Amino acid sequence: MNEAVAERMPPLAGDIPAAETFEALYERTLPKVYAYVASLVRDRSAAEDVTAQAFERAYRKRRSYRPARGTAEGWIFGIARNAALDELRRRKRRAGLHADPEDVAAPAVEDHAERSLRRQVVRSALAELAGPERDMVALKFMGGLSNAEIARVLGMGESNVGTRLHRTITKLREACDDRA
Amino acid sequence: MTELDAEIESELRVIDDALERGTATAPGGPERELEELAAALAADPPRPDPVFASVLGERVRAGFPRRRGTGRLPGPGWPKLRRPPKVALAGAASIVAAVAVVISLQSSESQPEMSGLSDGAADISALPEESASTPRAAQGSAIAPASPVSPDGGFVPGAEDRRIERSASLTLAAPDDRLEDVANDIIAVTDRYDGFVLRSSVSTGQEGASTGDFELRIPASRLQPALRDLSKLGDVRARTQAGEDITREFVSAGDRLRAARAERRGLLTRLESAATDTEAESIRRRLDLVAAEINGLRGQLRDLRLRSDYATVAVTLERSDDEEGSSDDGSGGDGLGGAFDDAASSLSDSVELLVRVLGVAIAPALLAGLVLLGARTVRRRRREAALG
Repeated sequence: MNEAVAERMPPLAGDIPAAETFEALYERTLPKVYAYVASLVRDRSAAEDVTAQAFERAYRKRRSYRPARGTAEGWIFGIARNAALDELRRRKRRAGLHADPEDVAAPAVEDHAERSLRRQVVRSALAELAGPERDMVALKFMGGLSNAEIARVLGMGESNVGTRLHRTITKLREACDDRA
Repeated sequence: MTELDAEIESELRVIDDALERGTATAPGGPERELEELAAALAADPPRPDPVFASVLGERVRAGFPRRRGTGRLPGPGWPKLRRPPKVALAGAASIVAAVAVVISLQSSESQPEMSGLSDGAADISALPEESASTPRAAQGSAIAPASPVSPDGGFVPGAEDRRIERSASLTLAAPDDRLEDVANDIIAVTDRYDGFVLRSSVSTGQEGASTGDFELRIPASRLQPALRDLSKLGDVRARTQAGEDITREFVSAGDRLRAARAERRGLLTRLESAATDTEAESIRRRLDLVAAEINGLRGQLRDLRLRSDYATVAVTLERSDDEEGSSDDGSGGDGLGGAFDDAASSLSDSVELLVRVLGVAIAPALLAGLVLLGARTVRRRRREAALG
């Protein structure tokens, strides 16, 4: 194993163990980062590229991480978000290469019909949200970040995140009610 | 969270709890709906393909080796160059610019003084349109900045051979036991530059309060090297230089002299052809007046020429302080005190330079900071525009 990977990250904030290796951070956050990225770019192949790119960027910039500015998780989500937004911009420029929105959202076959229907309704309501709202929902529900971490990633205040999140959830509830 | 109202806070807590449990537990009502929505949003997150996760994991463990053609030099022997942050670059650029500005300002302030000590190439004679009528009173100041037109109208446009009356004053300090030697050296320097001592006095007090005053005339063309050599004779406590443009007076006197001579020639011609004694007498009286005028103008011109050809240098010789004296004579008795003084002086100079640098650097640094902040905001907005 590369020694740099085994090198401990600077002490992490919060209740996470004092220090962890980059590899451990990767193992811990890969599923969430991938889920978040996939929710944004809505394309499996692009999501893999962006996720790989995000971890590579994070690895190269690992010494720039400052625990005082937030958790390592929030830090890596910030990098992943930037990489995803860059990918979306590139895609916008290349008209015609649109993502397949159904790719990452295929429902499990064995799902109970009612639950499956409910999820379909939620997904279609989610698809109607504005980009920034979808981004926030993805950070919260796919990334599993706390409101404080989301605030760090988005560069806004925590209470502002709470208010916007509440507003978005209310909008989603109303959209789901309409569809139901 | 204290800024959120209770309802929002409560609903956010319900969402967080539901996410933590992964399922809805409320018996029913809006809370149940919210829990179900949160569970549905978090349900079935896209999962990474195991093959992808495995390959990426390998790359992570290998420390993301560079692929071929990425342009980086391989090998552990090469030091890794890290790109300095933009803020640091901007800050460094601001400081460099500020230092350059401060140094250029300082050098422009001190240029006449330096020229006075060097070769005189930047002598005031090189600035024909300038005149300085009043020397600066401040100690150590350089030549007083001259105005293009002196209040008394000394500026004569178009005059090629300008006449500048130069004056300088120098206060030198020397140890008590060297005062006499320095006084002799002052005279020797004056002789060396073909000047002369107009007045000199060296007095010795009862308690060693010795002083000396010299009024020298040095050829104006050799003023700068002479000042340089005089400055080497002791510690320079103060030095001033001034220049006054007397071209107008000179030209005016010359014109009047030419006119008087022409009149004299005319009178002599008329005298030769005077028909009567009365007329001849009248012409002679007029000739006497013109001759007196010519003599006066000649004297005036000679005086003006002397004033412009020879610079007046006033040298004041003082006894230096004990500490300085001991260091000058090399005894080294108070060397430590002198060293402390030097250190304090150097520190003071450094602080002064630092304050000047900061004064100049703050504005560009703020500007650079604002530009960086603006660029960052623009970049962020452009990125986030992709979400729309």
